[in-house]
Amino acid sequence: MSRRGGHGSKKELEFELNLTSFIDLLSTCTCFLLISAVWVQIGTVEIKQSHGTEAAATKKNSFDLDLVFKNPEELRLNLKKDGKQVKSIEVKSDTNAGMLIKLNEAIGSQIYSKDSKAKKIEIAVATVTPKSTVNYGQLISALDVLRKNQIVNIGVLTARGQ
Amino acid sequence: MRLNQSMVAANPFEKHLINRRRKKNKGFRSSGFTLMLTSMVDMFSMLVIFLLQTFSNTPEISIVRGMELPRSISASVVREAPVLAISKDGNLYLDQKLVGRTADISRKPDELLNKLNFIKKGWVSSHTTAFSGDINLQADREIESTTVSMVMAILTSSQFQSIQLAVIGK
Repeated sequence: MSRRGGHGSKKELEFELNLTSFIDLLSTCTCFLLISAVWVQIGTVEIKQSHGTEAAATKKNSFDLDLVFKNPEELRLNLKKDGKQVKSIEVKSDTNAGMLIKLNEAIGSQIYSKDSKAKKIEIAVATVTPKSTVNYGQLISALDVLRKNQIVNIGVLTARGQ
Repeated sequence: MRLNQSMVAANPFEKHLINRRRKKNKGFRSSGFTLMLTSMVDMFSMLVIFLLQTFSNTPEISIVRGMELPRSISASVVREAPVLAISKDGNLYLDQKLVGRTADISRKPDELLNKLNFIKKGWVSSHTTAFSGDINLQADREIESTTVSMVMAILTSSQFQSIQLAVIGK
């Protein structure tokens, strides 16, 4: 295709784009991005270990929740207010996965529905007591269930001999 | 010499040579081939766009070799902090450097405490704000939860109270 110019000269409209430098740039970009790409997405689960006066302040309608592992398939939930136990719930299943489902149900139906007059009770601090038969992966799964139920201030009991 | 599909020869002898080669190669496939650059550039562009979209500038922590982190659905972003790792073989590493056996350290944590205090002092000297107490804790998902809690106790006693448990996000 050509166009006649004002001075009678033919100006070539079809031109060749030099792709070499463009391909070089794209190759370099691809190499850099492939090398710097993160293939395993590592995240964190935050644990706040209370220490002295830094413990969470007690609110009017806030409770503390203790999660005591007995074994990977069984644990006990203790709901406390001002250090006094208000309610205790046993969560048990045949498998660890089943137990986690029951734990989720227990927190949703039995813990949060405890105080029917109030809109929703608030769990100020949840403390998890591990057991030697429970592995770290199972502990994290239990923490996941707590966080899924808007319990974010979680501590792990670190006493010896558990 | 070939230009625009037409033969350009400098002299009659060269023309003769080219004609002879053409006759000789008749019936054979041409050794020259054209590379389809359009599809290659398309592929490169798409790859670059995809990699740029997935590019993240959040801090990354390196995992100790052979460690299998637990999976979590509620993982949050990693914060820059020292990394303490408990491997499956029972070793304890602080910032990729071996500190000792976890069992020994839980009985006698002096060495770990010294190293943690050194990190804390370094942090305090380089920051004007109060010590945040952040630390990343990596542990293999198969190890006992009580082992992790014992290490947590050492960290808490050394004022590292905000412990970030490293997990693999789902």
